[in-house]
Amino acid sequence: MNRDEIGELAAAYALGGLEGEDLARFEALLEAGDQDAVRALRECGDTLVGLAAAAPEPPPPGVKAALMERIAAAPAARPSAPSEAVRPLPRRRPRALWPVVLSGAMAAGLAAVVVGWSVSSTYEKRLDALARDAEQLRAELRGQQAVIAILRDPATQVVALAGLPPAPAARARMMWHAKAGGVFVATGLPAPPEGKAYQLWAIAGGNAPVSAGVFTVDASGTGSLAVRPLPGVSTVNAFAVTLEPAGGLAAPSGDMYLLGRS
Amino acid sequence: MPPVTPGSESSAALIAAIAAGDRDAFSRFYDLTAPMAFGLIRRVLRDPEAAADVLQEVFWQVWQDASRYDPTRGSPEAWLVTRAKTRAIDRLRSMRRRDRTFAAPVDESVAPRREEPAQNPAVVAEDKSLVQTALAQLPEAQRRVIELAFFEGLTQSEIATRLGEPLGTVKTRARLGLDRLRGVLGGERLSAT
Repeated sequence: MNRDEIGELAAAYALGGLEGEDLARFEALLEAGDQDAVRALRECGDTLVGLAAAAPEPPPPGVKAALMERIAAAPAARPSAPSEAVRPLPRRRPRALWPVVLSGAMAAGLAAVVVGWSVSSTYEKRLDALARDAEQLRAELRGQQAVIAILRDPATQVVALAGLPPAPAARARMMWHAKAGGVFVATGLPAPPEGKAYQLWAIAGGNAPVSAGVFTVDASGTGSLAVRPLPGVSTVNAFAVTLEPAGGLAAPSGDMYLLGRS
Repeated sequence: MPPVTPGSESSAALIAAIAAGDRDAFSRFYDLTAPMAFGLIRRVLRDPEAAADVLQEVFWQVWQDASRYDPTRGSPEAWLVTRAKTRAIDRLRSMRRRDRTFAAPVDESVAPRREEPAQNPAVVAEDKSLVQTALAQLPEAQRRVIELAFFEGLTQSEIATRLGEPLGTVKTRARLGLDRLRGVLGGERLSAT
């Protein structure tokens, strides 16, 4: 190993960033008493002392007093006490207050556990809520993408529906794609009476009307419905809306509110 | 402020006396070295209370571990500086972990790590003119490596990743930076005393 390399290891060792194989190599050199390694490390250490010593700061006066008191209080514990087991620092009068300090430390420990638990449960709840939001947004996005796909497809039929005598001002539009299904939007419909709902029907050729779903309207008279592909129905000649019992029926029975032919 | 002379007879003798349980020696060693240690700790930790806590921990360790001091590895001051720096960085990391836990960890994955530049202690430390002057005489690349290692506690491979430089380059810069710093600080100390 050349001196540059030893210098690099010593610099990293002194700075505290030596790791892995390099650390093992350098410690082995020090253990073996390698003069270059020892000298390089001393130089680096002294340089860092110089750096630290260039910006001294007067320590708070309480620190030394606390240390001296601590030393006076526990002379027997030294020097065999394991160095790494540094206890939480009692700030004042450690001897007289040991029981208080200990119970305080236990309380602090408990508090930390409780706080940790409540923090983590808070975040678990937040994460759950965010996961639900994300799922909802993904579902909305899938819906929007389906609508856009339908609108962009030349095979999509667009059928305008006009209001009939029960609601002459009502208007509706059906975007219909035999394979993808469709989107239906209506405006100007009165709120359905209690226990009733609007039902959309697809009429193809001379066949009986096929239910395309049930919907209701909001306070402004607007309602919408995503329609799945209807089995056995390809080209639709007409769409109609009738007022039916809330769950809808297999065949229309009530007044017709909207009708549109393609 | 008493000048610190690394490796002087007195500090080595004081450590030996402390190892034998001499409280007066501990008191003198504290007076001699605590300002240097506290300046360093404050550079890493801005919170004065946390810094005072760390100072107390470090000197409590000096009292307990003086018998383990190995003079072949460096001066007592270098031993102290390493401990002060390590403890301060440990505390800084635990404070950052705590801050992150109590702030908004959910946003962390998307938000840029905005605190990084502001927490570069070399930038925020106020009026550390001599250190700044000394570090300022290093080429930027060497200075960054030393700051990241010494004041932020990054390992060499972490520094390499952070700076996007090869590990070998980081190693060389650390050595060159320290060499240069030695020259600069030697001159400063002569002119300052």
